[in-house]
Amino acid sequence: MPLHDVNYKHWRGAHLGVWSRRRAIAWNGLTACLQVRWMMNLVVLCWGLGLAAAAVLFMAGQLLVADSAVVQWVSNFNPMLQMFAKSLTGWLTDHPEISVGTTQNVLFYFIGSWLMRVSIFALGPIIPLLITRDLACNAIVIYSSKAVTRGDYLLGKFATAFGFLALTWLGPVCAAWFLGNLLAPDWTFFWHARLALENLLIYGLSSMAVLSVLALGVSALSANEKSTTAFWFMWWILGGVIVPIGQHTRPWLCHLSFGFNINQIALHTFRVAENIRKAEESIPILSTMAGGLKPATRAALESPNLAGTGLALLVMLCLAAWVVHQRVKPE
Amino acid sequence: MPAELVIETQALCKVFGNQKALDDVSLAIAPGAIGLLGPNGAGKTTFMKCLLQLQPLTSGSAKLLGREVGAEGREIRKRVGYTPELDCHIPGMAGCEYVTYCAQLCGLPFQVGRQRAHEMLDFVGMGQERYRKIDTYSTGMKQRLKLAQAIVHDPEIVFLDEPANGLDPKGQGQILELVQSLWRAYGITVVLSSHMLQDVELICEQIIIIARGRVLVHDSLANLKARRRGSAEVVVPGRHEELEAACARRQWPCELLPNGHVKVGHRADSLNPLLEMLHQIQLAPLEIIPSPNALEETFVQALEISHAAA
Repeated sequence: MPLHDVNYKHWRGAHLGVWSRRRAIAWNGLTACLQVRWMMNLVVLCWGLGLAAAAVLFMAGQLLVADSAVVQWVSNFNPMLQMFAKSLTGWLTDHPEISVGTTQNVLFYFIGSWLMRVSIFALGPIIPLLITRDLACNAIVIYSSKAVTRGDYLLGKFATAFGFLALTWLGPVCAAWFLGNLLAPDWTFFWHARLALENLLIYGLSSMAVLSVLALGVSALSANEKSTTAFWFMWWILGGVIVPIGQHTRPWLCHLSFGFNINQIALHTFRVAENIRKAEESIPILSTMAGGLKPATRAALESPNLAGTGLALLVMLCLAAWVVHQRVKPE
Repeated sequence: MPAELVIETQALCKVFGNQKALDDVSLAIAPGAIGLLGPNGAGKTTFMKCLLQLQPLTSGSAKLLGREVGAEGREIRKRVGYTPELDCHIPGMAGCEYVTYCAQLCGLPFQVGRQRAHEMLDFVGMGQERYRKIDTYSTGMKQRLKLAQAIVHDPEIVFLDEPANGLDPKGQGQILELVQSLWRAYGITVVLSSHMLQDVELICEQIIIIARGRVLVHDSLANLKARRRGSAEVVVPGRHEELEAACARRQWPCELLPNGHVKVGHRADSLNPLLEMLHQIQLAPLEIIPSPNALEETFVQALEISHAAA
């Protein structure tokens, strides 16, 4: 039987646009990421943390209802606690912008920052899937011979990293915000918590964009998968080690850590210290409660000047772009 | 020659450092099966890569399928297929996923791409192994896969860089048969780069010989063969000296080859003068091979010219 007894067939359909090709690259990358061992477990963990955050918001919301099960449960421990809970509930009900808006803003700073660390960790194993493997297997030649440009390829890969972070960070925190407010005693919670969502989106989207570009840069550094993953983790961990040293010696050293810079964006966006001060001024009982905060903790939560962070991130992004430009070529 | 040319180049140059990989290449190529011949490092792959915009041109201009190379990359590559010489695949994917993905990269919708991927994998003779990861494929399977990904989007022209490399003779024959059918049966222009002369001779109608970055010959295979008409290999059972003496009397170049054949340059379009001479000296040949390896001789001759010029 001749080999090609199955005839070749011509195709005369309409080609899809360039965005569908970019989407195909991104989707293919994302699918590959989720096939990495343990990656689905990590994604499930992130969503679990998001649900836990929603539960915390639900509990916080219940504090605003005098006869809620949570207040009743707290009161069971001590009759004094009942008095305290009721007076706190009264104050909180009178200042929804503080009790809902500020509380959620501060809570989401901590939830967002913590989940971002999990996402940075999860990025490590998928770094090689972005560009490293394509360099190792000459897949760049295949991409370059198809109807996509280098820009399309990089945009697709950027979308892969961004999409992955959306899955591990943006999705869970937005779900937490939505569920937390959906289960709240009043629909007005959505309105009062809008600032927290806005801050979440500003911080999340900017951090995700920065991390995606940095991940592409690290991924393009070498054709060796272990090297790029190791580089990512080493940069992250060494950055974490440098920050406490830099804070007491040379503050500019802190900016070598991308994790530090991203946290600075969070502090600047959420303005945690300002929010706490505002809450203390509006609700005296909170002033007593927040009085236990150490001065060092308060100082750490102060909104930073973003000039150094901006410059450091700009340098990092330029370096990443230069590495990608140098390495991602058909030859 | 048809009015529409598939490839047009004007004074195309490509320089790497101080080495000219392509030097003043001007060509006008009509659709068909085109053989790109040359020794290793001649510039065949660079020529193809320049046309596909995998390499930027240093100077000159080129048109592929009537579109300016360098200006309309995406549009050109939508209609072009390419099988690189080296192994190039996307790791971690099964064969059919990979070909489907390549179809999507050329703008085919997913469903169409998947259907065509299976059709093309059938066409290149891949069976159930299409569901295996590419990383586990043998060289032969990878070559078939490369061909499938190059034609999955139904290109008008396909560039094949040493498509039969690393294959056993049976595998080579199968791949070449497929490549041959692309132009002859389905009208897809094929540009075949190879240093295997017999492969090119089997498939191609037009021949381009490149050496040291310069195009030395661009002609049809028929013309090239006609150019070399006038020589033949004569297989005789001994009496070589007698044959050589007869040739010398007629001032025909004559050479005893290592395989025992005698190569005679009879300088005629037909074999009649040679047969007449053999009859005169009463020498019955065992075999006469007209125009032996015409393409090879032209190739070697062209290379000698190139070396002499250098």
